[in-house]
Amino acid sequence: MRRLVFSFWFLVFGKAPRSQSIEAVKNVRKFYLFVILSAAKNLFTFIMLGFFAALRMTAIGKFTEIITFFTASPYKKRILKPNISKSAAILVALTLTLNANSCIKCHSNKMQECKSNIHFTLKKAINTTRKTFGIKDSNITLQTLPLPPKVIKEPKDLVDDLLRRKCLRCHLTSQTVNPTQNLCLACHNPHKNRADSYKAKPAQGKCLKCHNGEFIGSDYLGKFPHDYDKSYRSPLDKEGFYPQSKDGIDYHYLAQDIHHKKGLTCTSCHNKKIAKNWLKPKCTACHKNLSAKNHKSYHSKISCTACHASWMVNSYNLNLLRDDTPNYKQWKRLTKQFDPKLESFLINALKSKTPPPPKSLDYLDNKEKSGIWYSGWKFKRWENFWLVNSKYGKIELAKPMFQYKISYKDKNGTMVLDNISQTDGKKIEAFLIKHPHTITKKPKSCEQCHNNPILFDKTLINKNLFQGTLINAAPLTKKQLKKMHSKKYKLERAKNFF
Amino acid sequence: MKYLLTALLFFNLLYSNESCLNCHSNTTQMDGFHDIKKIGCASCHGGDGSALDKTDAHKNMVLHPARLEHAKIFCGKCHEEVIKRVQTSIMNSMSGVLDTLKFQFKETAKITQSGGIQQLRAKPAAKQSLAEDHFSKLCAACHINQDEKIFKNYTPRGGGCVDCHRVAPAKIISGNGGIKIIHPKLSTKIPSKNCLKCHNRSNRIGLSYFGKFESEGYGTPFIHGKLSHRLDKSRFYYDLPADIHHSKGGLECIDCHSEAGVMGDGKKHLHMEDALDISCSDCHAPNFKPSQNYPKAAMLSALNGSVPLAKDIAITRKKGTPLYNVAKDGNKTIIYRKRDGKKFIIPKLGNKPYHNLKIHKRLDCSACHSKWMPSCYGCHEVYFKNGKQYDWIKHKKTKGQWMELRSYLRYESPALAIGYNKKIMPTAPGCQVLMTIFDKNGTSQPFHSFAYAAWSPHTTSKEARSCIDCHFNPLAIGLGNGILDMNRNGISFMPYYDSNRSGLPINYPIDALISKEGVRFQSFSRDSARGFNKQEVNKIVNAYKCIICHGEYNDKIYKDFKKSKKRFKKGQTPCARELLK
Repeated sequence: MRRLVFSFWFLVFGKAPRSQSIEAVKNVRKFYLFVILSAAKNLFTFIMLGFFAALRMTAIGKFTEIITFFTASPYKKRILKPNISKSAAILVALTLTLNANSCIKCHSNKMQECKSNIHFTLKKAINTTRKTFGIKDSNITLQTLPLPPKVIKEPKDLVDDLLRRKCLRCHLTSQTVNPTQNLCLACHNPHKNRADSYKAKPAQGKCLKCHNGEFIGSDYLGKFPHDYDKSYRSPLDKEGFYPQSKDGIDYHYLAQDIHHKKGLTCTSCHNKKIAKNWLKPKCTACHKNLSAKNHKSYHSKISCTACHASWMVNSYNLNLLRDDTPNYKQWKRLTKQFDPKLESFLINALKSKTPPPPKSLDYLDNKEKSGIWYSGWKFKRWENFWLVNSKYGKIELAKPMFQYKISYKDKNGTMVLDNISQTDGKKIEAFLIKHPHTITKKPKSCEQCHNNPILFDKTLINKNLFQGTLINAAPLTKKQLKKMHSKKYKLERAKNFF
Repeated sequence: MKYLLTALLFFNLLYSNESCLNCHSNTTQMDGFHDIKKIGCASCHGGDGSALDKTDAHKNMVLHPARLEHAKIFCGKCHEEVIKRVQTSIMNSMSGVLDTLKFQFKETAKITQSGGIQQLRAKPAAKQSLAEDHFSKLCAACHINQDEKIFKNYTPRGGGCVDCHRVAPAKIISGNGGIKIIHPKLSTKIPSKNCLKCHNRSNRIGLSYFGKFESEGYGTPFIHGKLSHRLDKSRFYYDLPADIHHSKGGLECIDCHSEAGVMGDGKKHLHMEDALDISCSDCHAPNFKPSQNYPKAAMLSALNGSVPLAKDIAITRKKGTPLYNVAKDGNKTIIYRKRDGKKFIIPKLGNKPYHNLKIHKRLDCSACHSKWMPSCYGCHEVYFKNGKQYDWIKHKKTKGQWMELRSYLRYESPALAIGYNKKIMPTAPGCQVLMTIFDKNGTSQPFHSFAYAAWSPHTTSKEARSCIDCHFNPLAIGLGNGILDMNRNGISFMPYYDSNRSGLPINYPIDALISKEGVRFQSFSRDSARGFNKQEVNKIVNAYKCIICHGEYNDKIYKDFKKSKKRFKKGQTPCARELLK
């Protein structure tokens, strides 16, 4: 019976269950040989085997995978091959015919509502990115995003291409990433009887499909993305696998959000009302009676997260290179770039003797276009943070978001743009106000802000990383900084100690 | 005596008329000290300088006389004393590296001296332990007697004396008039790039000194469409502030690390720090002695040629060896850069309160003056028993293959602990070994061994770190990154890193050396090194109660801190009246 379960698992998912040992893989192999040998005798088994094999071939298009499963050494296969589970979703696609059209039949009014939803238009993300590149038009939506110009001279000519082929991998109408999970199904799971899903309320896992990696979302679970280089794929698990990387990256685990620890999910705070009107949930909506002892009036201008968020994902200097030439070798150790599509492309390209031409998918019109976007950071840190004055009158945390350095190498190998970080005389780098979801009951210590090296250390290493434009915010004023070291503060703080 | 002189004269004549040059006239002159006209060819290369036939002349000849096994015979004719010393040095045997590794891999309970590379060479590959195999395949490429020919894709290292002393390599130039052979040139003015061939990994001193930090491998920024800032095939760097000795004076490694410290003192040492001779105070608070008592100083100065020998020179405190380039000039101390003899005035360790504070007398200079510390967290060692990898000692592929993964890198202001010299020093992980073995039976994770190491990172800056950077910085105290806070009831700490959920087999944060209760999570390979204990942690953090207002060294409360503390407790100071109400 166990063997049967394993074999079905393998047929469906294309690999042995993670929980099983190397022995189990050997067992599956033995079972297959047994089945093939007895197939001649048993017509029913033969037909079943043929049926599944055909299903798998159409689903994945890789019959070779089955062959290598039998021929490759189980240890080598496990350690050297990245785990990209894609077969499951595609198989479901074949059996499941649900799509947005089915929803419309009953929920037509909801569909209209949805069209103005920011999840549908992605207005904010698109326009902020375009703005940092120096484009003033601020009313572009996912649906009206233009095609990039044919002649490229400046970084801003590339921004639409960048959005289409890199950033907008995540959007509701995406057909390619997950065909069964677009539109309504991107958030709402139709399986009512499964424990982790509800018809109306999106499950946490659904949100985290997009809100992960460098962004706010997966930090709620304490996840901090690993660096891209091969040597950071650690630790191996007991079976010798690389760590799981469903989002296109694997993670460190840091202190998790207290709300997560207590069992709250995304929708507990980001509820229907808030989602509809695109409001940000307020901490004070629930935490109404804050103790006056710990929340002194002189801190009334400071946002809750500035103190209570323990750490944040800070990724500095996003270097982007669009390369239209087949130059894959230098990415040998950097196949994992938080982009599963690029990862599988690079792995195949590096393996094959005749490398494919550099092409990547435009996620909006589903066309393969020439050129590939590669990316790399300067570094990522979780421990430091920058305090700024927000436009709305509070002191908030700022996160480096668009510290771009753009390069473009065209088909002929000429560098049209070479490591450009400025447009119109302005640096294309910015900090955005963010609210990390790493809330702890115990706030940061006073010193973490009042002696923050980013604010006060005159000899700070890499000081230039904190000089970009602030979007909807301004740096703390000299007066504010002086106040942070005032006698009053020192005395008040010292009183805590005695 | 007469006979001896005539004999010498005769040999001298013989050498100057060696038959070698009959054929090898196309070989260029060496450096001034090894003038072919004066010492000939055969005195270094062996063979028969009087023979006229090629086979007779080349009998017992050696192409690379600087390799240590030949150097004993050839270079040793003049440099006998040095050759003896260098053979016992750590750069030759690497025994310290191997012995520490054995300790980290839990093969020995205490570090004991072994024979290093020389011993391993005789041991069959099958009988090697895990640590020995790791050493032969990943570490042993760097030692001064390595075979230079085996490096195809890397900077060649080894070759004996020439590993350091060769300043211009051998070259063969072919032109119209046949080929011309350029003889390598030797010098005592060793350029730092020769040191960097090896000293660029592990604690990365060679990189840090020049302001390079081995990066996370992104190869950014992308310049001309290519990954940039490469160290080698798979390693990258980014620029951080360099050591002030480099950025201000352009001092090279040899300006501080004198020949006695580098080539050893003839004794076999267990660790590098035992062989080390120089310390900061040898230059910044020098101990001058007349140079005429040190004939070696005169010799070294003459060999160098650019550095004049002063009347009074500095003598190291540890081993009493002369630093011929650090001289007394009136009231000033002067250092001559060995490369070109350029003069610099060395600032003296003054009488300023920050250097005289009694409570800080346990601090090593590097604890305060190091700007950043390269720290590599998590050393995930993967061993494939059935794989094959090149063995740098046996010079062939043997069974067993290694792969190394890591957790993350940082360059923060250093964590502190009690170092090997019982002083408070910068520390960083070294090494946090997590072992995974693949063999026929699948995988096993036989052990993990988490350790820290203390060293001076060579990122010296004039400005010392601020008081709060140690006294209220959890990382500096050794607690790791997180939220450190204090109130009347004591210290509280919440770490950021969650090792358990990150898949590590430890139940403390990966960057925690100690707990706030002083429990030691991670070990040190040196006996006297350790993280702070509970009492020390409390002392350090509690000092912040005063530092928050009295943040300057010249504050009068530090003149006699014990007395000030007493006065505070009795309520006699202004702040006590305010705070102890």
